[in-house]
Amino acid sequence: MPQNEVVEGLDLDRYKYHFITEDEPVFRSGRGLNEKVVREISAQKDEPEWMLEFRLKALKIYNAKPMPTWGGDLSNLESVLDQIYFYVRPQDKMERSWDDVPPNIKETFEKLGIPEAEQKVLAGVGAQYESEMVYHSLKEEWEKKGVIFDSIEDGLKNHPELFREHFGTVIPSADNKFSAMNSAVWSGGSFVYIPPGVELDTPLQAYFRVNQEQMGQFERTLIIADEGSKAHYIEGCTAPVYSTESFHSGVIEIVVKPGAHFRYTTIQNWSNNMYNLVTQRALVHENATMEWLDGNLGSKLTMKYPSCYLLGEGAHGSVLSIAYSGDGQHQDTGGKVVHAAPNTTSQIVSKSISKGTGRSTYRGLCQVHEGSVNSKSNVECDALLINDTSRTDTYPYIEIDEKKSNIGHEATVSKVGDEQLFYLMSRGMNEEEAMALIVRGFIEPIAKLLPLEYAVELNRLIELEMEGSVG
Amino acid sequence: MAATPATDTTGTGLMEGVTDHINREAVESLAADEPQWLRDRRLEAWSLYERTPMPTTRLEEWRYTNLSRKLKLDRLSLLPWEERSYSPESAPRRLKDAMDQDRDASGHLIELDGTVASVDLGEEFAAKGVVLTSLRKAVHSHPELLEELLATEALPAGLGKFQALNAALWTDGVLLYVPKGVRLERPIRVSRWSSEPGRAVFSRTLIVAEGASQVSFVDECLSEDFEEQMLASTAVEVFARDGAQVQFVSLQRMGTGTFHLSQQRTLAGRDSTLDTLNVGLGGTTARVDLNARLQGPGANSDMLGLYFGDGDQHFDFNTSQDHVAPNAKSDLLYKGALDGRAQSVFRGVIKVHRGAQQTDAYQTNRNLLLSDRARADSLPNLEIEADDVRCSHGATVGQLDQNHLFYLMSRGIPRELAERLVVMGFLGEVLSRLPLGGVVEKITGIIDEKLHG
Repeated sequence: MPQNEVVEGLDLDRYKYHFITEDEPVFRSGRGLNEKVVREISAQKDEPEWMLEFRLKALKIYNAKPMPTWGGDLSNLESVLDQIYFYVRPQDKMERSWDDVPPNIKETFEKLGIPEAEQKVLAGVGAQYESEMVYHSLKEEWEKKGVIFDSIEDGLKNHPELFREHFGTVIPSADNKFSAMNSAVWSGGSFVYIPPGVELDTPLQAYFRVNQEQMGQFERTLIIADEGSKAHYIEGCTAPVYSTESFHSGVIEIVVKPGAHFRYTTIQNWSNNMYNLVTQRALVHENATMEWLDGNLGSKLTMKYPSCYLLGEGAHGSVLSIAYSGDGQHQDTGGKVVHAAPNTTSQIVSKSISKGTGRSTYRGLCQVHEGSVNSKSNVECDALLINDTSRTDTYPYIEIDEKKSNIGHEATVSKVGDEQLFYLMSRGMNEEEAMALIVRGFIEPIAKLLPLEYAVELNRLIELEMEGSVG
Repeated sequence: MAATPATDTTGTGLMEGVTDHINREAVESLAADEPQWLRDRRLEAWSLYERTPMPTTRLEEWRYTNLSRKLKLDRLSLLPWEERSYSPESAPRRLKDAMDQDRDASGHLIELDGTVASVDLGEEFAAKGVVLTSLRKAVHSHPELLEELLATEALPAGLGKFQALNAALWTDGVLLYVPKGVRLERPIRVSRWSSEPGRAVFSRTLIVAEGASQVSFVDECLSEDFEEQMLASTAVEVFARDGAQVQFVSLQRMGTGTFHLSQQRTLAGRDSTLDTLNVGLGGTTARVDLNARLQGPGANSDMLGLYFGDGDQHFDFNTSQDHVAPNAKSDLLYKGALDGRAQSVFRGVIKVHRGAQQTDAYQTNRNLLLSDRARADSLPNLEIEADDVRCSHGATVGQLDQNHLFYLMSRGIPRELAERLVVMGFLGEVLSRLPLGGVVEKITGIIDEKLHG
């Protein structure tokens, strides 16, 4: 079979951003995680007493919780964690303008193609270079509207009451081992507040970046979309390749108040030695809508299940997830929807591509509590397998405690069909183009929901990875 | 050695489930006059049982069935084997009714309280070499077959806590052997009856269908209603050799108070067909573990399930479609309706092993919730390690289709009857896929009765 050779030769894994920039961190915590490190982080950030207590309590929970035994292979993680710096700060001050950003950091961004995108289309950028915001800009008109888009540290300093009211309420420290870890050592991330009725046309963007070797990154983001507001937040990650394993564990909390509409987009392209264990959750109130758009392309192992807790009548939640697993990668991703109010609706669409020895796992939950009458949920999973060494799994949990609900789950697994390839090739395409086109078509339903520049980037990535797939 | 009650002082799960009655002495006394190989097998199984912790809801496979609440092993005593015979005059009403509904069969076996009390096999089949006998007797009449296949290839004790327990403590059961090329047009029927509360009964079934043979097997179990818990454990091993066609049907109609535990493994050889149907209607708690292994190229397994729960009933189906060989096909359809506070769990996995190319595997679980307090949990899983496969799965939970109801009511059918018709139509899809003589009518009748409340 000729196209088998094509498939073997596919190089979907070529790492696009394989480069390292030299820099000198100002402060670096010792390796490993202990109370001293937590106290240091809190002192460095000049935090109020309650936050230090919050962190210390979380550390206790973290130590008490066992490592998860499900999901991906975490057997090497303990030794990785012992070697990690839990806090690094590259600069003392937050930068206000692009000109003030140090040249070596700019260089990194340039290689990522940030500036063009940032300056022309993007409105506000919070770029996280290592553990803190180094660059933060916000369009003036938004400031006038009362929108807050700060680093999480500034959120705590400048809006203490709003911050404290919501922080840790969506994802309690004790939710899981890694949310506890994040709660103890969080650093960097965004604090976003959209006032009632405010609609933002251009997305809020934060570019996260891990550079320091063996440095854990514990980004923490808190977003409050007040009543009737509408906004879109984009988080993208990319990191250079290092030989030793690295670690990222974020916590993203979102409160979507009545009638609000919020979309959170992640394009994750960590280097292939990264453990990426993230907890993302939104509380969705009356008639509000929450949409997670989750793209996982990089990392060694990602475990991430964006969730919507539909708490108010008429709330809607959706999770659109796309995963690509190349050689040695495991994407253990999916979504959770919990229906806890009447007339709530939800949708999960998951698409995955596994190539080489890559493994893509869909793991999801659909739960309908008693009394959530007329709930509707639909889950669809499609998996594409490129090689006979690739693997895919689907683990949907469906827990229904309400008669008056309508719940469906469907999944398919397929490979790129000979007929499909033949059809395209008979129209004059070569194998490589045909394969790229089919894969693009497969992810198109999700790619088309991305802002233009991200969709372009995603498509370019797919093309790049299909290059050299023949001969 | 004095028997010690189950205590887990070490926290390691060692010796969990070892009680005043369920212990090593019981195994030793069962094995006392048995051949060496069987004695060894029982004792080895018992050691495994002792060393395996009791499953908890922390285990994926037991996530929704809490054994510490649902199974009180320390209150159960064993029912020792004793000679029993069946007489129609003194037979319990329920058993008699059930048997009266059966159509003609190629053979019929009756098991009373864990002892095979009657075996009746058509002479022409016996002449062709078909064997239908009590497993206990088969230890002496067919030692080689049993030594090779009993609790070895299909359901070895190492598979889990309860597989080990059954392998250690079984008292009787069924052996069905169908020689090469022999075809039985009418099914083999087994009727089981349990009458004693507070007992644990362990039974095994071994079915071997040689190359190009054909047989269907209908296993129906019934019991009294009990105030005290009763445990019925059954282990089923089915071998379909190359080109054989086998249908295995389990009709679970236990009374209230019973915990029914059925562990089944089917091994399908090259170009064989090995279909199963599990019907769950009775019992208070019923757990089925079914592993269908497609180990020969071209093998085909239809796996059907049907359940109807009301009151406090709890059904737990744990299935696995294990594709080892290429070009095999499995198609699973489990459908259930739940009324009252009944609860159902379906956990199924399609596992396509590396190299099992050209696999077709499908899995569907559909649930109807008929009451506000019923609950359904569904986990249809896929684990795919080959790329040239066609696999899909689907699961739904919902209420009666209002459009269907409306349609029937607009034709003058009263609501109650319309609801019954829609439920029957919903469940009927499963039965239409395995139209076995007598079985369809029987199940339809029971569900209809249940719907009448």
